[in-house]
Amino acid sequence: MTLISRFRSPRTQGILLLTPALGVYAMFAIWPMIDVLILSFQDWNGITENREWVGLRNYYHILYNDPVFWVAFKNTFIWTVLSVVIPPLLGLGLALGLNQKLILRAPLRAIYYLPVIIAPIAVATMWRWMYDPFFGLFAQLLADLGLSSWAVDWLGDRDVALYSIFVAYVWQNVGFSMVLFLAGLQSVDSSLIDAAHIDGANRRQVFKNVTLPALRPTITIVLVLSTISSLKAFDIIYGMTGGGPAQSTQMLALWAFTQSMEIFDYGRGSAVSVVLLLLTLAVVIPYMRWSQKQESDAQ
Amino acid sequence: MIAPALNMKRRDPVLIGLWISLALVALVWLTPVVFITFTALKSEAEIFSTAAFSVPSAIEWSNFGVAWIKGNFSQTFFNSTVITLVKVPLGLLISAMAAYALAQIKLGWNKALLLFVLFGAMLPFQVMLAPLFNLVNSLDLIDTYPGVILPYLAFGVPYQVFILHSFFRAVPKELTEAALIDGATHFTIFRRIFLPVSLPVLAALLILDFVSTWNEFAMALVLLQDKNMWTLPLGLMSFQGQFSSNYGELNAAIVMTVLPATLVYLIFQRYFVSGLTSGAVKG
Amino acid sequence: MKATTLLKGSAAALLLCGTSLSAEELTIWTINYTSDRQVSALTAAEAEFEALMPGVDVEIVMRGTDEHKTALRVAAGSDTGPDIYAYWAGLGLGGEYVQAGLSTDLSPYYESYGWSDRLTAPSQAFSESFAEGKHGIPFRFSGEAVYYNKELFAKAGIESEPQTYEELKEAAVALKAAGIPAFTFGGTVNWHVMRLMDVILETTCGVDKHDALMAMELDWATEPCALEAFTEMKWWTDDHFLKPFMGIDNRQSTTLWFANRAAMMLEGDWHVPTIDENADMENFGLFPFPTGTGRLYGFAEYMYVSTKSDQADLAAKFLDMFTSDEFQTAHLGAFGALSVNKNVKQGDDALALHREWLEVFAQAEGTFVNGDQAFPLDVTTEYFRVINELASGDLEPQAAADAMAGFISNH
Repeated sequence: MTLISRFRSPRTQGILLLTPALGVYAMFAIWPMIDVLILSFQDWNGITENREWVGLRNYYHILYNDPVFWVAFKNTFIWTVLSVVIPPLLGLGLALGLNQKLILRAPLRAIYYLPVIIAPIAVATMWRWMYDPFFGLFAQLLADLGLSSWAVDWLGDRDVALYSIFVAYVWQNVGFSMVLFLAGLQSVDSSLIDAAHIDGANRRQVFKNVTLPALRPTITIVLVLSTISSLKAFDIIYGMTGGGPAQSTQMLALWAFTQSMEIFDYGRGSAVSVVLLLLTLAVVIPYMRWSQKQESDAQ
Repeated sequence: MIAPALNMKRRDPVLIGLWISLALVALVWLTPVVFITFTALKSEAEIFSTAAFSVPSAIEWSNFGVAWIKGNFSQTFFNSTVITLVKVPLGLLISAMAAYALAQIKLGWNKALLLFVLFGAMLPFQVMLAPLFNLVNSLDLIDTYPGVILPYLAFGVPYQVFILHSFFRAVPKELTEAALIDGATHFTIFRRIFLPVSLPVLAALLILDFVSTWNEFAMALVLLQDKNMWTLPLGLMSFQGQFSSNYGELNAAIVMTVLPATLVYLIFQRYFVSGLTSGAVKG
Repeated sequence: MKATTLLKGSAAALLLCGTSLSAEELTIWTINYTSDRQVSALTAAEAEFEALMPGVDVEIVMRGTDEHKTALRVAAGSDTGPDIYAYWAGLGLGGEYVQAGLSTDLSPYYESYGWSDRLTAPSQAFSESFAEGKHGIPFRFSGEAVYYNKELFAKAGIESEPQTYEELKEAAVALKAAGIPAFTFGGTVNWHVMRLMDVILETTCGVDKHDALMAMELDWATEPCALEAFTEMKWWTDDHFLKPFMGIDNRQSTTLWFANRAAMMLEGDWHVPTIDENADMENFGLFPFPTGTGRLYGFAEYMYVSTKSDQADLAAKFLDMFTSDEFQTAHLGAFGALSVNKNVKQGDDALALHREWLEVFAQAEGTFVNGDQAFPLDVTTEYFRVINELASGDLEPQAAADAMAGFISNH
């Protein structure tokens, strides 16, 4: 086979087309994932030449001796539950409302979607300033209303801080769910709705029996995407509290980063990463199976 | 046909109530933006003496100028621009190439490869910051444009391949086969047929990717240590750390960081929605 | 052995002076100082050394604190990096690099240039702490003390500066009675609140036990003075801090202090120019935190020569110029009240509070360092967490002491 004829083989051409994307993906996305697994069994501070194998010692440490790991674990859990429930519900509500033929519908949609395109770190900076206990928006509003005694150290009180951050997260993310639901609603057959109305069904019945079933795939997708993005929560927490006060808003992703890149204990940081990775896989793998099945059913 | 007409005639009280509540919530949604913008335009004295939503009496443009210089904005702006301008088109190109190959060329393991790529779209890269840092460091690429562009490409590929693949797959295989029989190579088919027909999808992905690249923070935080290489989000974070007590300038810095993405969004709104939804919902 | 290295060193230095034609580069990494005077002193050092050594190109790279830390880490893992790096001298920071073998032993240069005689005792104390030989050379020693607002003290009827810890507590009670919080701290940057814990530990434990606790040789859980320190700390954070404090940073707390919202701050000598720029210095005074041990609370910043540098002689020459009488006199006060060079003293035209600082330095019997300089990084992180939990009322003193002990035993 000459070089040219080899070049003409569809297989070669396919490989040539695939290589740049797959190469960079394998090297900079897949290899680090493997490396994080390797690192989690090693002891390394980033300075020494050698990484020393320590077996399960890093896992033992984070599970039994690390005072922050379980706080981070619990916070990640709370955060995930909240972000799977609240932004999608609000987003669904907004989408149902904005799916009606209303005046100024487009600008309203734009307003709700606007925060989605703002950098999370800028959202964090904005809200951090709004939460400023002395001069921030909430402090000022409460003072104007004569309710200064209600003022809370929004980001400094460990019982409140996580939820204060979550409010900012909701503000930023509702628009995302909304847009997905709006798209899902386009797939609802409007003649079905009209028919139901003619048959005398009220709004709630129409929603329950026509709209909701048609939205089912959208709901699954929104929930999975919300779960994944909540597990990734990093920027907004780094920017607002850095995990404080007293590590009370620490999350797994940020704690892995702190251990590796600030304390320079790569082994322990990677062990935290692996735990988070496993949690993510527990959501991703069933979802991928489900979507594969959907696809083959469709065919 | 009948129902909308009915709606038009008697004004539905439920719809009116709905509209009012949607508008009110939208106002609440806008408050942070208004508050930040107003504060950015106020002098320090006015911030402390006036109410949060009072319109600035004298506009303090100097906040922007001072923040621009203090925050080294010209440099961070430049870096963000270079990184985004290289990464976004390049990423789309290689993703489109891969998506075409997976959708139109029989390689024997197309499905497995697609799953392999899709897998990456779901993984949180936040867990890999440390090994990523080591990898880039071992290539001597810390504090360089390629050092951050390559990982950006890697983590952008999965989602784009996934969406473009579902688009390319819908194109009948006969079209490709006919062209092959006419002697065209896959490269030609990709360039002459598939790229042109997928322009709307590419445009949507381009806009989406622009915003996410422009806004990316965590990887840049780890891979760009030299402040002359910082992107806008890093510059803003550092600005907050250093000048947190000068509220007017801080808010001006926030506005300047957010503005480019906002403008792009307002201009290309339509593409955003189609870009987000084409893959996630219909695919 | 020493003599030969010395000989080699000076020979090389001579050689360098001779071969000035080939352009050589000396790279120095430091943190990005906020004060313009410090930045200009560094820039001046660059120019002066280039004038002194024609053909040598000095490049000083300044970064923010965290970026500087990470950048050094990056350099440690690769072949790039500076010839000289500035770092804090404590165990968890500069000490770690010394122990990892990344700092060149400077003993030959100490001898040939006579640095030991030139430098003040507290500033050079860290050069021998972490490894054989002498590592790094101090360029700055910073003390931390209590700054107070005279007007607010007068309002509370406090007539003199507290001399003992009890008097300080009485002053706090008097301030509270007058509706004035004693201290303001910013909680988001963990090291700010930590300062109070450090000085209280020195107060309740005394010199030996405090040092042993920080060296992790004494058990925090069973040592009564540690418990007492946490109990005292709680007394302060519960009732004598400007609140809320956990949600603000040190700069915001400084703004509030200038707005007369609290009477005192525990700050370093670098605070003097800040006061000078933002308020009337007449209204402020300072006194060392009355620990009763006579030691000064503070830390040193060093310049280290990297083992990866192949220009150790040139680097030493730069350090010699930097700490010389001439250079230090020319940039007096730029790096704090006190020069690391014994022979250099601030004159009568110094800022009022700088003069007070000189007295504080003169009277100090030794020094003790900040907790985040004394501990390894992971213990520091835990120390921050325990203090913050205690300060926000979620951890009782005994539980705090137990938490420290538990973490250290697993370290």
